Amino acid sequence: MADWRLVVVQARAQLTSITRNRRAVVISLVIPVVILVMFNSIFGGGNDTVDLAGARITASAYFAGAMLAYALIGIAFMQVAITLVSQRETGQLKRYHGTPVPAWTFIVATVLRVAAMAASVTAILLLIARLAYGVDVSAEALAEIVVYVALGTATLCSAGIAATTVVPDVESASAALPLVAVLLSFISSIFVPVDQLPAWLADVGRIFPLYHVAVGVQTALGASGDTSLRGGDVAVLVAWALGAVIIAARGFRWEPRAAAA
Amino acid sequence: MDLNGNAAIRVRNLHKAYGGHDAVHGVSFDVAPGEVFGFLGPNGAGKTTTIEILEGYRARTAGDVRVLGVDPGKPTRRWRERIGLVLQECELDPNLTIRETVGLFASFYPSPLRVDETIELSGLGDQADTRVGALSGGQKRRVDVALGIVGDPDLIFLDEPTTGFDPSARRGAWAMIDGLRRLGKTIFLTTHYMDEAQHLADRIAILRAGELVAVGSVDEIGAGLQADAVVRFRLPGGVTADDVGAVVARPVDLADDIVTIRCPDPQPVLYRLTTWAEQGAHRLDGLEVLRPTLEDMFLALTTARAEHG
Repeated sequence: MADWRLVVVQARAQLTSITRNRRAVVISLVIPVVILVMFNSIFGGGNDTVDLAGARITASAYFAGAMLAYALIGIAFMQVAITLVSQRETGQLKRYHGTPVPAWTFIVATVLRVAAMAASVTAILLLIARLAYGVDVSAEALAEIVVYVALGTATLCSAGIAATTVVPDVESASAALPLVAVLLSFISSIFVPVDQLPAWLADVGRIFPLYHVAVGVQTALGASGDTSLRGGDVAVLVAWALGAVIIAARGFRWEPRAAAA
Repeated sequence: MDLNGNAAIRVRNLHKAYGGHDAVHGVSFDVAPGEVFGFLGPNGAGKTTTIEILEGYRARTAGDVRVLGVDPGKPTRRWRERIGLVLQECELDPNLTIRETVGLFASFYPSPLRVDETIELSGLGDQADTRVGALSGGQKRRVDVALGIVGDPDLIFLDEPTTGFDPSARRGAWAMIDGLRRLGKTIFLTTHYMDEAQHLADRIAILRAGELVAVGSVDEIGAGLQADAVVRFRLPGGVTADDVGAVVARPVDLADDIVTIRCPDPQPVLYRLTTWAEQGAHRLDGLEVLRPTLEDMFLALTTARAEHG
């Protein structure tokens, strides 16, 4: 089908563009790797363990899952929203919309670009965790992680697209979205294990999708294969994804806010 | 001009209201296939609103519009494949090179021009592998133009295509637009440069406050305005402006020793003037005849009415 060729062509162009964007590379890859190394250097070592949602896992597994989730909110949520708002407000989306290229191919290409980045960063972080910090990644664990990463990426990416409907301009996007990412990271078992949070804050965290990605990957990595996918995590992610898709489908705009009169 | 079904663009009684205010009020015109049509007007006259309706970006309030036979209020993919756009304000991905950008857009069309050829045609051959973010404003504008033509469209909208160009880049753009005309493309051009419109456009429409105040070739508009030619020269020594007025039998203006005579037809005025000067041994220093320019007509049409509100 010729239109799928258009998806591939656009996804490739987007990947080329974003890998040349230093800020994007730092947000999506460099910062998670640096934090992973620092956490392990400062708090890790030996047989430190973390109590997490009913399981006891190694600190290194906790950090690896945490940074994977942190990378995903950067790649799939923050960066998608900021990039789209910037493309919209500078007229790039309007220009696209004036070509014969079907709108859906652009959106699917964006999702595909995000998926490719998420997969690469997942592989890099797991490899570092395995080689440098001895985190055991069994086949079952890997299968579970793939599900959580795929579902989490889809959900966060939909949320990022939905967020563009309420963010008016690039300045607001670059201010608000990192704030959201940092706040969520504190209550989603990324900077602090969920068991060490006050109960009410942990409850707030559980409302949001990021918590379920982080804890899902952390328990898959740390609980040495005797866990299974937890329906609750999956249900929350799917619910957020559906809600975000509905908001995005209704409110997505191709033209700058300050459209000429 | 009435082309009925054959017009590239056909606009009848177009209205666009924002709130209670009519930005476009009953505009009608036709653009013939293969024509370069200049669409002029001061800022706020409704140019952008009209062009965006024709481009399929904006819904109209009332009126009938056909662009390549299709209602642009319901743009289809086939229709978009036949239309090229150069928008007024539009940035491009700064991280892609010119070649990558033009190649990406070329892939959106069923039978695009060759990418290298298009880049060459836009005068960017030497920068093909430069990233868009490193280009000057004028160079970026040329990339916009390259993206507008790479799909090999039948109809091209050029919305202020040479804004920010230096004079030689503008001449280059004009040569390119002339080239597109020779290929039989229909071109809908807006510009703030009257010399550009005069040079490029076969016909011109002038919009003021949402209404057309003139449509036609530059000569037709000039004739309709009864715009006068101007004869000018330095007043010779020993004569007065009244002497000159008696010779040419027309009113004469004098300012800073420069005599100005406005006349619909300069030939008899020049005959009398030069005969008188030769016989009386008067020097007509700096003698010149100025045809009314499009700029004069534009100002006459768009400012005279402004005084009426």
